[in-house]
Amino acid sequence: MIEVRQVSKSYNRGAVKAVDQVTLSVKAGEIFGFLGPNGAGKTTLIKMITGILNPDAGSIKINGQDIQLNPIKARMQFGFVPDDPNLFLRLSGAEYLNFMADMYQVPRKIRLERISMLLERFDLVEAIGDSLQSYSHGMRQKIVVIGALLHNPPVWILDEPMTGLDPRSSFALKEMMREQADSGKTVFFSTHVLEVAEKVCDRVAIINQGKVVFCGLMEEILTHFQANQSLEKIFLELTGNEKISNVS
Amino acid sequence: MKKYLTLVKVLLINSFGFSVLRTKARHNPLEYLKPLAVGALMVIAFAPVIFLYVDILNRGYDLLAPIGLQWTILTLGLVLVSTIIFYFGIFYVINAFYYSGNNEFILALPVQAWQVLGARFTQVLFYEYLTELPLLAPPLLVFGLKSNASILYWIYALLGYLLVPLVPLALASVMALVVMRFTNLARRKDLFRILGGVLVIFLAVGLQVVMQKSGPNVMDAAYLQDLLTHPDSLIHVLSRYFPSIRWLALALAYSSTLGAGLNFLAFSAFSIIAVGLCWLVGEKLYYRGLVGSGEVTRRKRKYTGAYSRLLKASPVLLAYLQKEIRLLLRTPTYFMNCVLSIFLIPIFLFIPFFLQTRSEAGPLPWEALGQNPHFTIILLAVLSGIAIFLAGSNSITSTSLSREGKHFFVSKFIPLPYRKQIQAKLLSGLIFGVLGNLLILSVAAFLLKLNLSLIGLCFIVMLVAIIPMQEVGLLIDLYHPKLDWDQEQKAVKQNLNSILALLLAVLLAAGLFFILIKWIHSLILAVLFMLAYNGIFALGFYLVLMTKGIAQYRRLEG
Repeated sequence: MIEVRQVSKSYNRGAVKAVDQVTLSVKAGEIFGFLGPNGAGKTTLIKMITGILNPDAGSIKINGQDIQLNPIKARMQFGFVPDDPNLFLRLSGAEYLNFMADMYQVPRKIRLERISMLLERFDLVEAIGDSLQSYSHGMRQKIVVIGALLHNPPVWILDEPMTGLDPRSSFALKEMMREQADSGKTVFFSTHVLEVAEKVCDRVAIINQGKVVFCGLMEEILTHFQANQSLEKIFLELTGNEKISNVS
Repeated sequence: MKKYLTLVKVLLINSFGFSVLRTKARHNPLEYLKPLAVGALMVIAFAPVIFLYVDILNRGYDLLAPIGLQWTILTLGLVLVSTIIFYFGIFYVINAFYYSGNNEFILALPVQAWQVLGARFTQVLFYEYLTELPLLAPPLLVFGLKSNASILYWIYALLGYLLVPLVPLALASVMALVVMRFTNLARRKDLFRILGGVLVIFLAVGLQVVMQKSGPNVMDAAYLQDLLTHPDSLIHVLSRYFPSIRWLALALAYSSTLGAGLNFLAFSAFSIIAVGLCWLVGEKLYYRGLVGSGEVTRRKRKYTGAYSRLLKASPVLLAYLQKEIRLLLRTPTYFMNCVLSIFLIPIFLFIPFFLQTRSEAGPLPWEALGQNPHFTIILLAVLSGIAIFLAGSNSITSTSLSREGKHFFVSKFIPLPYRKQIQAKLLSGLIFGVLGNLLILSVAAFLLKLNLSLIGLCFIVMLVAIIPMQEVGLLIDLYHPKLDWDQEQKAVKQNLNSILALLLAVLLAAGLFFILIKWIHSLILAVLFMLAYNGIFALGFYLVLMTKGIAQYRRLEG
């Protein structure tokens, strides 16, 4: 699970509050969608959860491990898919996967099994020996997803994971997210695509101007804002003004 | 022409980072002071060298004035600056023409090849003006001030300053255009880009060798006599690599005469025609060398289940080190700027020795060195000096974080302790440093016919000498990484960290040599001292890296 407590982050000496006293709790066994308009603070919060940015205040724990106090143990708990999949483009697919598996110390036998399974699932077997430079955007996204899953992490953190994926791969990823959550793992992902959130998520949080303006179950959000309203309308309403609504 | 000028403006704003600076300064006006502070630091750092240069020019002028050869300092300055611009130009040009990140975007714009090439050429030209400043401004100023030169001299000097880089840069560009046109045919673009770059550099060296061989032997006494009695012939000799320089040198030397005006006109016309020809070649070849250069073809061979041999497990430190080395070797910009110099500088250094022809009987000059009682000390000092210089100038560690750029976040989220990441980065620098050392050592061993025990001793002394250099480079980059870049070349070429690392390397080496020459005359003491001096710095910097360095790594954000 992921516990975010009173986390803040500001830039330009406090002039811009990117994340403002955010508290979230993502439980094991659920898919948690993190929504918000561009520049709302989604990626900043994800970067703090993964240890890429240091929070100004507050604490973040992943499966009980504090990312600031026990960074290595905390990092072993999650697999991270960043929003930019153009990583290490001069490596081949196999070299990239080896690198990630080595970082997470996945034994050779297990990495072989997982890589075979994931390559088949994402239809990437034939490209494994090629340079990542030759991959399309979607293929790069898939190889990064595979790299993040090699150590079978109990927590998945994905920043805009569906961007660039073809419908088949997108379906496969959504299916895997569901399987992971059903097997008791935590899935936390950000997205702009409201339909995805609506179909996949158990709970969602909406962030705007650094503050969480809504956090609750999918059903709750729809009940709270008259059942016939679409998530899109709710999203626009919540992020259009600063009315804070929390029903969780 | 309008499109060319617009491209120049955009490229200059982008490459000098004016917009970024303006955005940052909007929140914090002190940001404007940063580039000024860096500039001031550079001036302070280079001041001693500049003073020394000015002093040499000054003395040279006084020494040569009585025999009417005072303008030699001008010619020497012009030859020096043209040669350096030519060699630097090759790197600048290849980087700017072919390795720029925004090439694919520019290719899609409705502009002609010469407009893009011209704009890139102009962008490089501005960098060359900066390179030119410490090299050519001093001789122009010294000569002008000491000879109470007329206003015409100052006009020629100013215009000459602006025109001098054109010919060497056009030459470098044409060589790059031709080679890159043909390397773009290959399927493995990155590899051939690298090979193309290397080929251009070797062609340049070859050109110099041919020129040197074809010219008269300047060490010949009768020939020297002739030169001193016919002052103008010296200009011809000195400027034989770049013939147009002779016109500028003559224009400056005799600025108040009518002939000077004609000479200056000839120089200007030649420079402009050279650029015109270069752009013409560019119009024919540039896009052919560029189109599709970013594309990478997938292999025909398909992996169907038999890929298990590709999947190997390695210890974490080794895996991270492998990643560092692979990216260094496979990214053309990094290879050209960080790795290649390790192998090229020794070649450049030793070429003159190989070019020396044995005259009748007797040993070559350096072979006689072996008779010198302090030979071994001198040898160790010189070899360590070269090793230190190479280690300081390769910028592998001093740009190791910068090179990660906006993907630095990967190093922050992977579960590899910062300590190990720092160690792997340091090791990558040391591995290439040792390779450079081995190359220098083998050439030295061949030339000086060194015995095995001396080779071993040199190897150890050189190894210990490069460790602090790599460490200090990494420390600089840890405290001031340049992560915000959009083109790989900005991470290595336009990164002050590498210059700062080189300066510190020179300072450390200067301290070592000062003590060595001043106080130490026995071989054993010299070896012990060199090992202790570099060893103490190596240990000290390592401790700093493992304490403050790790804390700083933790503070850095991706």
